[in-house]
Amino acid sequence: MTGPTSTATFGAMGTVVSVRTLASGPSGPDAAAAVEEVFARWEARFSLYDPASELSRVDRGELRLAEASEGLRDAYSVALRWRDATAGAFTPHRPDGAIDLNGVVKALAVHEAGLVLDRIAPVGWAIGAGGDVLVSGAVPAAPLPVGIVDPADRSALVGRIDLGPRGRLAVATSGSAERGDHIWTRAGDGPSPFVQVSVAAGDLVTADVLATAIVAGGWEALDDLAGGNDIDVLAVTRDGGLVATPGWPRAAVGFSDAAGARTATPAWGAAR
Amino acid sequence: MVLASAASAAAILGGWQLGAASTSVTAPGISASAGSSGAATAAHGGISADPADGTYAGGVVSTRFGDVQVEVTVTAGRITDVTALHLTDHDGRSVQISNRAAPVLRQEVLQAQSASVSMVSGATYTSAAYLQSLQAALDQAGFR
Repeated sequence: MTGPTSTATFGAMGTVVSVRTLASGPSGPDAAAAVEEVFARWEARFSLYDPASELSRVDRGELRLAEASEGLRDAYSVALRWRDATAGAFTPHRPDGAIDLNGVVKALAVHEAGLVLDRIAPVGWAIGAGGDVLVSGAVPAAPLPVGIVDPADRSALVGRIDLGPRGRLAVATSGSAERGDHIWTRAGDGPSPFVQVSVAAGDLVTADVLATAIVAGGWEALDDLAGGNDIDVLAVTRDGGLVATPGWPRAAVGFSDAAGARTATPAWGAAR
Repeated sequence: MVLASAASAAAILGGWQLGAASTSVTAPGISASAGSSGAATAAHGGISADPADGTYAGGVVSTRFGDVQVEVTVTAGRITDVTALHLTDHDGRSVQISNRAAPVLRQEVLQAQSASVSMVSGATYTSAAYLQSLQAALDQAGFR
């Protein structure tokens, strides 16, 4: 599956979403329009910046959770299951008691958008949403090379992972690399040992939640969650060092050298 | 390898057969290491008091995490390593139990120049930050 690609972007959820399809499929703008519609629905329901959103109404006490839409209750139950699976390192509950589903909503919206693209762009697609990336798993595709931003120099990369092979269809990166902000671990634990954590997984919700949970939970969470989930992890520690799980791609497993000598023109990338 | 409990460990190790064909569900493989002190004499099952050096694969044991088959390395009469050969959860999915993160050199994992990737993953950036991000440059190149 090679050929020129079509890219379109739009703003949603406070960030920018990029949609790529093969030029032989629907046009970039058409695909992006379909994805934008999905995001608009999710934002309308879950945005805490919009006082009229359903979640805002629940958090104000205007709407009882039991009377909320199935979509909202389903998203909440996803977040609760992950709270349990991460021993609380990931949680949809803010300290003030409000429900904040930001940690799952973006990934769930991307997931639903992907289902739409599976129908209209069956030859393959990729969605990037503010640092999260998901690719189509529906057809065998040329791998999508995704760079991992260097938190110390956001114009540079610290690593790369190819999405598509080995069941890794999604990558998410969590952390706070701008302005030296700290991600705080749970009360009393102090700042996270990780400035940034990237997780590659079979789906974006898993990647997103676990990246957040590992930042929040530190070394113990890294060991527990990497051990118990089928994921690859690349973490940047506070002193700029890197730690990675055995499956995270590295030179020893056939990557090109640093000069990129082996890198053929990726099917998804611009020919250079 | 982290075993869930002493009971699980006992269950797993109870399935060991040294030097003899297994009577358990799957036949374990036996491969003596180069340092083996000789063929194990094993007319009986179970771990002998002084097993020969080597690596031994046990039979498949069902645990609450799914089916487990482990490989044990014996050195100088002691178990020096335990590795999972096969582990699935009850949905039949493979579960990695030795997925431990370890330090890695930057030059090992930096395998791309900015120009050779199609998307970038970084901590969530706002719409304003996007404008200066690598992703914006890549998207610009992809508009055609």
